[in-house]
Amino acid sequence: MTGGDLAGGARDRRVLAVRCPAWHSPSLLARQAGQAAAPRAPGAPGALGAREFEQVVSAVQEFCPRIEVLRPGLCAFGVRGPAKYFGGEAELARKVAGAVTRLGYDCGVGVADGMFAALLVSRDSQGEEPPVRIVPSGGTPAFLAPRAVTILGEPDLADLLIRLGIRTLGEFAAVPAAEAGNRFGAHGLLAHRLARGLDPRPLATRPPTPDLAVQIEFDPPVEQSERVVFAAKSMASQMHAQLAAGGLACVRVQIQVVCDNGEEITRLWRHDGLLSELAVAERVRWQLDGWRPGRGPGEHDDGVTASGISLLRLVPDQLVADQGRQLGLWGDAVVSDRVARAAVRVQAMLGHDAVTQAALAGGRSPADQAVFIPFGDTDESAARRPRPADRPWPGRIPPPAPATVYPVPRRASVTDESGSLVEVTGRGQLSGEPAKLSVGGEPSLAVTAWTGPWPVTERWWDPEHACRKARFQLVTVDGGAWLAVVQDGRWLIEASYD
Amino acid sequence: MGVAVAPVLPLPPNAGQAERDELTHLLAEGTVRSGREVGAGSGALPDADLLPVLPALRNLLPHGALQRGSVVAAGDWNLLCAALAAGPVASGAWCAVAGIPEFGVVAAADAGLDPARVLLIPGLGPNWAQVVISLLDGCDLVLLRPPDRPPPQARRKLEAAIRRHGAVLVVAGDWDGAQVRLRIAAQEWAGIGQGHGRLRGRRAYVVADGRGGWSRSQARWLWLPDPEGAVTAIEPALGSTASEPALTGIAGQASTG
Repeated sequence: MTGGDLAGGARDRRVLAVRCPAWHSPSLLARQAGQAAAPRAPGAPGALGAREFEQVVSAVQEFCPRIEVLRPGLCAFGVRGPAKYFGGEAELARKVAGAVTRLGYDCGVGVADGMFAALLVSRDSQGEEPPVRIVPSGGTPAFLAPRAVTILGEPDLADLLIRLGIRTLGEFAAVPAAEAGNRFGAHGLLAHRLARGLDPRPLATRPPTPDLAVQIEFDPPVEQSERVVFAAKSMASQMHAQLAAGGLACVRVQIQVVCDNGEEITRLWRHDGLLSELAVAERVRWQLDGWRPGRGPGEHDDGVTASGISLLRLVPDQLVADQGRQLGLWGDAVVSDRVARAAVRVQAMLGHDAVTQAALAGGRSPADQAVFIPFGDTDESAARRPRPADRPWPGRIPPPAPATVYPVPRRASVTDESGSLVEVTGRGQLSGEPAKLSVGGEPSLAVTAWTGPWPVTERWWDPEHACRKARFQLVTVDGGAWLAVVQDGRWLIEASYD
Repeated sequence: MGVAVAPVLPLPPNAGQAERDELTHLLAEGTVRSGREVGAGSGALPDADLLPVLPALRNLLPHGALQRGSVVAAGDWNLLCAALAAGPVASGAWCAVAGIPEFGVVAAADAGLDPARVLLIPGLGPNWAQVVISLLDGCDLVLLRPPDRPPPQARRKLEAAIRRHGAVLVVAGDWDGAQVRLRIAAQEWAGIGQGHGRLRGRRAYVVADGRGGWSRSQARWLWLPDPEGAVTAIEPALGSTASEPALTGIAGQASTG
């Protein structure tokens, strides 16, 4: 790829894109369920997570060693070399689709000039048999022409274009490039290039110089992935310092891991924004987690590799001039470097999951109303997205919320005046008024005020998770207020209002 | 930040001497603040050595704020600890909650503690002092429940780190040498009866004792929380039996100033 002349390099710009929207294989679903992962709402399609996608990447890599992961669920590679080897673009695309489908994933494969068109084609080809579509070389502008301008992913620009009477990419492409630049600015010019079937910017012609790569050798080889990830964080900062010295930033980074038995795994990771130190370290973690077979997603604390890791190398792959990043003026809870550094240091001491950030979620019990996400994890995996808090949750505990929510409910016993355990019938009738409360075997306290029972029946449609509870609020003589629940005849303290 | 700024500055040149005296009095009491002082305490977190707190807690703390480099002991973990952290976080500080696995996120958020600016470290491990020192480096405020009573040497090391980083340590528990101690001397839940109603709010009599220039203890009736989950002051006229707690369930003797 010499020079940025796009017309001359048409053959070089042929791109094959593979898109996996979601899993669909029953066997995979069964496997996920067997791991007793976070409970998922029934029927909610789980998007493909980064770690699962690693399997797909491995399969696609059989066809071309240099593939680019745009995000979990989407990868692409230059088709020119492999097409020759595998007997043409159509044959190659069919083989790729077959390999991914055999893994049990739904996919779409598309080949076109340039990344933008290839991604669009891969979306169209989903659900076809075989899921392959090819736009012939030079046919990209014609392929794009009937599409609506909203597909450019620039809502403001699309809105403006539609009001100007430009509804399709073909009409937009007919606008002279210089006029598009004058009228719509840099963003418009970029979109105009896409509409004409060109790449958004001339290829980064400057090859990454080898001295920008950073590597660390582990002697003796380490078996804990945690240590490798921690090293990656400091290496990433070193790499960024080198890049910053040259006024550059990278939008793509190649992560290379070598084992002491000679096994090697190399991946290209791309990011919409610029890759921060934490983002690089997170991708190293994904790569290591996905690579090791037989380990479920989510467990990445004390994972031990079959063989030790002897070398980690980060190569900045696609360099762009560093334009800086503009943050919102107000309201953004931006994690400052200082906070991130402290959190990462504590994570290195206590493990990745030891430092979390809470997000409010929907739910009836106080424990359901917050989810804890390990610091540095992004919300890319839909399975961990909190239940929406703005929906009505009938039977929700009314405000004010309790300040103390026990991660594991505490055993308790509530007795009436005669000293026998208070019971709740199926119709919500009490066997007696609560008079004494004993929490976790402590001496019992007199109950001065109480209210309840508030019956809740959750997930009655799901025999495994269905449960019936009755909640009470109790105030004891020492001034404490408690949220108690009766389930299967047992009393538990879920929270305290201290 | 609901700081009351009375439009009294600058004074007209012909203002009477009586008015001037009154203003000086108000300024000294802290009821009225000059614009410069208010500006330093609002918006982005100032570099000043004071962290603003919720209006309801102002009267309980020396200078009406949390002083950087200081330790505040707030009794066992309860909503008061979260309320102390809410003011600084609302004005841009980061807070770490260390060693409190039962931290109630919803209650804290209702009290004004934005979860987006909170790091949670539920388990501190055996070497907890080192973890807290690392957190003090990054966060302006650390809310800590120590797993055990630290030996004097470890305590001095922690206090040195607090002063060095200009952070504030709010201890859910007791701490030898804390600059300010807050405790709930009496409390009463409202809205709940014998089998009817529900918990709506708690009237709490909060007593603050200090050291040094803050030797006189202060006490206030607070809604902790009020029916919306916020922490607000109860006007003396509305608080039952004025300032003297005459309730059942008095934990410790309340000393009023």
